Amino acid sequence: MTGTGLAQPGEVSPHSVQRERVTSAELRRHRRRSSVLAQAPSLLVLAVVVVFPLLYSINLSFRSYSLVTPNHTGQWIGLDNYTRMLHDDDFHHAIVVTAIFVVAAVALETILGLVVGTLIDRLRRTRRVAVSMLLLPMIVTPLVVGLMFNFALNAQFGYLTWAMKSIGLTAGVGALNSTPGALVVLVLIDVWEWFPFVALMVLAGLQTLPKEPFEAASIDGASTLQSYRYITLPMLAPILGVAVLFRATEAVREFDKVYVLTGGGPGSATTVNDLYQYRVSFLDWDLSYGATLGLVSFAFVLLLSGVMYRTLSRKEVQR
Amino acid sequence: MITQTVFSRPLKAAFAVLIGVAFIGYLSPLIWLVLSSFKNRVDIFATPPSFIFHPTLSNYVVAFGQKGFGTNLRNSVIVAVASSAIALLIGIPAAYRLSRHRSRFQGAFLLALLAARLLPAMVLSVPLFVLASDVGLSGTYVAVVAAHLTFSIPFTVWMMRGFFLAVPASLDEAARLDGCSEISAFFRIVLPLTRGGVAATAIFLLINSWNEFLFALILTGRSTATLPVAIPNLLTPIGTFWGQIAAVATVTVIPVCVFAFVVQKYMVAGLTGGAMAGE
Repeated sequence: MTGTGLAQPGEVSPHSVQRERVTSAELRRHRRRSSVLAQAPSLLVLAVVVVFPLLYSINLSFRSYSLVTPNHTGQWIGLDNYTRMLHDDDFHHAIVVTAIFVVAAVALETILGLVVGTLIDRLRRTRRVAVSMLLLPMIVTPLVVGLMFNFALNAQFGYLTWAMKSIGLTAGVGALNSTPGALVVLVLIDVWEWFPFVALMVLAGLQTLPKEPFEAASIDGASTLQSYRYITLPMLAPILGVAVLFRATEAVREFDKVYVLTGGGPGSATTVNDLYQYRVSFLDWDLSYGATLGLVSFAFVLLLSGVMYRTLSRKEVQR
Repeated sequence: MITQTVFSRPLKAAFAVLIGVAFIGYLSPLIWLVLSSFKNRVDIFATPPSFIFHPTLSNYVVAFGQKGFGTNLRNSVIVAVASSAIALLIGIPAAYRLSRHRSRFQGAFLLALLAARLLPAMVLSVPLFVLASDVGLSGTYVAVVAAHLTFSIPFTVWMMRGFFLAVPASLDEAARLDGCSEISAFFRIVLPLTRGGVAATAIFLLINSWNEFLFALILTGRSTATLPVAIPNLLTPIGTFWGQIAAVATVTVIPVCVFAFVVQKYMVAGLTGGAMAGE
């Protein structure tokens, strides 16, 4: 049945194109039916597990629903949760911590990823090995990443604490127990885990670059550094933008590592947005307020990625 | 890129050693974790850190034999396999249609899937927790598997759409002209050509579900807890069993690392959820 058609896959004569058009007109109704069959299950499941819960959450955000406070069983309270959010200092603090974390981590990841990606691109035989090494931190269970640094940075016996002490970087208390130290450590762990992502994107980008501009530049006497600065970097800009977009939208939801590394402490020094929401919803059991905070965060993530995407595509049009 | 700097042989060797040391330093937290899982209490708490020690398997024996982490391992496998299988089963047909037909509806579907990928787990965790409790599914496998579908279905559709787009549509049209139905053209021609893509997608689905923490934390109970949920239980106020933590963490991480090497080629696509085709 399939024999002859497969023998010459590339051969599309004008005649067969015409025939296809006729058959497609005949089969339109059949196709619509099979389209429903092919996509209905996924749409149905997503409606149940994503759309309905999301609508439920929106409804919940206008009510008071708590599992521990009596008389908070879902009464309509209008915009109270939203006005409460505006005056919630702990939430504002969590937003500031998250902003510092995201900006610092993503900036460092971009710079380091660019450098390492460029260096690896110059490797020949060891390249595959280097890339596989870089992949490990990204795919290791995030909770385990938090745990292993908790272990390595233990104030008494952690090997990293010991290493830092021997070069005089930390005195006694351990990096996780000081207020600026814990956030710095959290940023550095995220960089450890995710700069390879940027490096990998850079590597993929470098392979698609055309050779001609570089040949022209070297004929014109440009140095390696000059052609990197004026040819490679501008051509890499779009893919770097995509990498930053991905990293930013993921770093905004940081949870696993902080949960097991510091639990948000010391004090509230590392209480990022998602950890604060977790506390509100699942430790204080104030589920309606937790839903409100979540929805506002999601709206912000959508806005952020929308804006970043727009700027990216505008840049691409300009070039 | 054009001008390769020429190094002398000893300089090259020194450079290679330097890179090797840098990588060992970079991966040292992971190496240290695995080493510590074979240490006894004395060696774990030693300062300065002990690099040479008598390896022991007692941490593994205690954690998986006496403390029941075998159950958590089984739970992790069940949740990962179930959610990945369902996502593939219903995601692949949807992805194939998306790759072959363009319409306003299909465009909207694709965009909605992208928005679903941006949805923070924390946002869904509250309603999923309340709904699961309401219908009595809290603490069951069904609840976690359903929660994992929220990210694995969009992932499958985006990934597989990319692989299907790489198969020229003229191939299945040729088969259709020869009398194949759309379904048999898909099974006889398109699916065999994208076997590698299906395998890669499956592996990423397994890894993502295996590594997921928040949904599992909120929706599983004592008997259904996955490995990431169970490990922090060893961090107790009375004392932390670091050796056992290291042992369970090692078991959690090893399968992921092995799988990652298999799909190395597709890593860029996998990490960006199919948004980038990559190498």
